[in-house]
Amino acid sequence: MKEIARQLRAPLSPPVSGSFDARVMSEVRRMPRHSRFRLWSRLTTPRTVTVIPLSWGLVAASIALFAAIGAIRAFDDIQVATKPMVTALFPSTSAPKPPQRVQFVLVAPDAKKVAVVGDFNGWDADHAGYQAQHRGGGVWSVTAPVPVGHHRYSFVVDDSVWVADPTAPRVVDNDYGVTNSAIVVSEQK
Amino acid sequence: MNRGVFSVVGLLCLARPVLAQDTRLSAKLDKPTLTAVNAIVDSARVSKLPTAPLIDKALEGVAKGSDGENIIIAVRQLSLRMGSAKRALASSATPDEVKAAASALEVGVSERDLARLRAAAGKQPVTVPLAVLTDLVGQKVPIPTATNLVLQFARSGVKDSDLALFQRNVRSDVDQGADPTVAATTRARGLVARGGPPPKPSE
Repeated sequence: MKEIARQLRAPLSPPVSGSFDARVMSEVRRMPRHSRFRLWSRLTTPRTVTVIPLSWGLVAASIALFAAIGAIRAFDDIQVATKPMVTALFPSTSAPKPPQRVQFVLVAPDAKKVAVVGDFNGWDADHAGYQAQHRGGGVWSVTAPVPVGHHRYSFVVDDSVWVADPTAPRVVDNDYGVTNSAIVVSEQK
Repeated sequence: MNRGVFSVVGLLCLARPVLAQDTRLSAKLDKPTLTAVNAIVDSARVSKLPTAPLIDKALEGVAKGSDGENIIIAVRQLSLRMGSAKRALASSATPDEVKAAASALEVGVSERDLARLRAAAGKQPVTVPLAVLTDLVGQKVPIPTATNLVLQFARSGVKDSDLALFQRNVRSDVDQGADPTVAATTRARGLVARGGPPPKPSE
């Protein structure tokens, strides 16, 4: 009994730390890694990468091209974005010209409905501000705002018949086969 | 490795800047037409051409019941005409001048004549003269005659309001049965006579 107690009380001989650590770490490395650390491990573990100059040159050139296009577009966007600010700060030099009220008149005795469509209202025959009123005697008219500048327009009679303004210059339209009218609206002084 | 690299390169090459799409177009055009029209608009923007007329052209096609293919063709043709117009009028041309010049090109006026008009008008805007020129040609006045008349107006410094009146008078004469060329040249004679001295050379 005494001999057993002595052996138990005797200090353990210290293990060889290097070999013990090595064994432990070897066992740890053998264990499957948690998926959460796999990506991180791939990113942080030094690796040997084979580089083909042509491939990476192409990648670099594409990135440079993309960056250049982005920079050009950003410059344009900045110009567009700052335009209102410049206009507000320097109204006398580049203030937007207000739309002018223009009277459109069409004589259409048999019409039930007459609307003005053009590039100033998105060619929308249902636009509320451009519906002509019958003034009597077959005369239809509407006075509506039109931005300063060159515009193409037409009358739409009864939602189906396109009629060029008889009093305005014509714009031959070979694209859609219906002649439009042209109007140049200038700023009233 | 190579496959990955080339995939990246391909994606980068195919990637395009985000288009500033017009919501009116996306609401009214089908997807293939919208994609094609947006590409033309984006290309025009890069070329510093006005893009609003192209969007309006597409909307006009929708309003006139045209199919997608015709809309794409019309927008592309307009873009090409505006490019030619801008070259002829010089890069300082306003969007309105480019639009009016594109209409003039459509009826058969040449780029050379546009350049001559630009030179004759100096720094004066040529939007109204171009609209009148387009109208005259549309009324069957021969292109050389109509061009010479409008050049004469530009050199004489005829006002835009007088040009508009001239156009209405010629149209009225033609509607009453007059020969377009005779009506235009006769009315032009009176207009130039009271057009005043030519404008001072631009500084």
